[in-house]
Amino acid sequence: MNDSELNRLLKEAKVPEQSPEFRAQFPRRVTARLHWKPAATVVSAHWFPRLAWGLGLVACAILAFFLGHWREQNEAMAKNSLLQNEKVIKEMLATFPNRVRGIVQDEHGLNIVLSDQENVPVSTPLWVQICDGRHCATMVTFSGQELRIGRRDVTVLSDASGKIILAGDNFLWSNGEVLLADGKLKIEAKTLAPVVL
Amino acid sequence: MADVDQESNWLEQSRRGDHAAFENVVQSYQTMIHSITYRMTGSVADAEDLSQETFIRAFHQLRSFRGESKFSSWLCRVAMNACLNWRQRESRRAEVHEQWAGDNLGTLQENAEALDENTRRVQAALNRLPAKQRAAMILTVYEEMNHAEAARALGCSEATVSWRVFTARAKLKRWLAPALRGSPGR
Repeated sequence: MNDSELNRLLKEAKVPEQSPEFRAQFPRRVTARLHWKPAATVVSAHWFPRLAWGLGLVACAILAFFLGHWREQNEAMAKNSLLQNEKVIKEMLATFPNRVRGIVQDEHGLNIVLSDQENVPVSTPLWVQICDGRHCATMVTFSGQELRIGRRDVTVLSDASGKIILAGDNFLWSNGEVLLADGKLKIEAKTLAPVVL
Repeated sequence: MADVDQESNWLEQSRRGDHAAFENVVQSYQTMIHSITYRMTGSVADAEDLSQETFIRAFHQLRSFRGESKFSSWLCRVAMNACLNWRQRESRRAEVHEQWAGDNLGTLQENAEALDENTRRVQAALNRLPAKQRAAMILTVYEEMNHAEAARALGCSEATVSWRVFTARAKLKRWLAPALRGSPGR
């Protein structure tokens, strides 16, 4: 079949004819609809779906942003609260008596740092967070421990008055006061409630 | 069909909200628009609805017609847009097309009368085409537009129209070849 044969076949197909009455009444039907469908309605009918879609998309974007933000916050809060949860710490200390040097939460997850021997004295747990602008690492540890946290070796010390000192290769920090630092570090530390096993 | 000056007057009066003048416009183009909407839908009832919809849209959008193309081409574009946006009656369209495609002899009462077998086969084949290919075929074959005019009516490039026509023709030849062989005198 060539194109002209196809054209002929297509053109032979007729459209059902409208009755003369219908044809005569059709223009009047159209204008009758124009009377009860004023221009403003049509314009708004054209614009409303676009406006609705636009507003819907904006609402979705805002919702997605807040959900993401809320989730991040929740995850961070969950991690932090886990490390500040006395029950969790107590269970870990009870499971590994005198061996827990620290519980570290960083980008790799939650890790328990254990001593080879039962030589870690029971003392007040200390909560420490170190952020370098890209990563944050949080840990619960005890005075006198030296831990690797966020690719840094950190020694954690505290005295009887509750003062906490963190010492690393290139920083020295004491209760909010940076004594010596590389400028990028943001450090927080506090004393947690004593754990009674 | 009215001469160009008379048509321009009617359009100008219609733009000012004169419904009587617009009735003349509708009368001039109702057959053309009915033909397009019927071939796009395969349903007399839906074609009538879409024809009305086309003229109502045209009336409200008349200000956007600046006379850069023929009014008939502009009206075709309005009709094609109405047909391609024929979403409200999607289930009805699917039903109509399924019946056409499934039974070429036609079981639809609204279409069955006065349609010969060739007409039914052709409409069934048109219904099987994707809507945009169908639109390109209708404008180029039935409305005898060249590809540039069809492109303006469909709001796409000439190359796109050419490709749609080429693809649609290949399909229609395959589907309609038995009809051609079976026709007397061929």
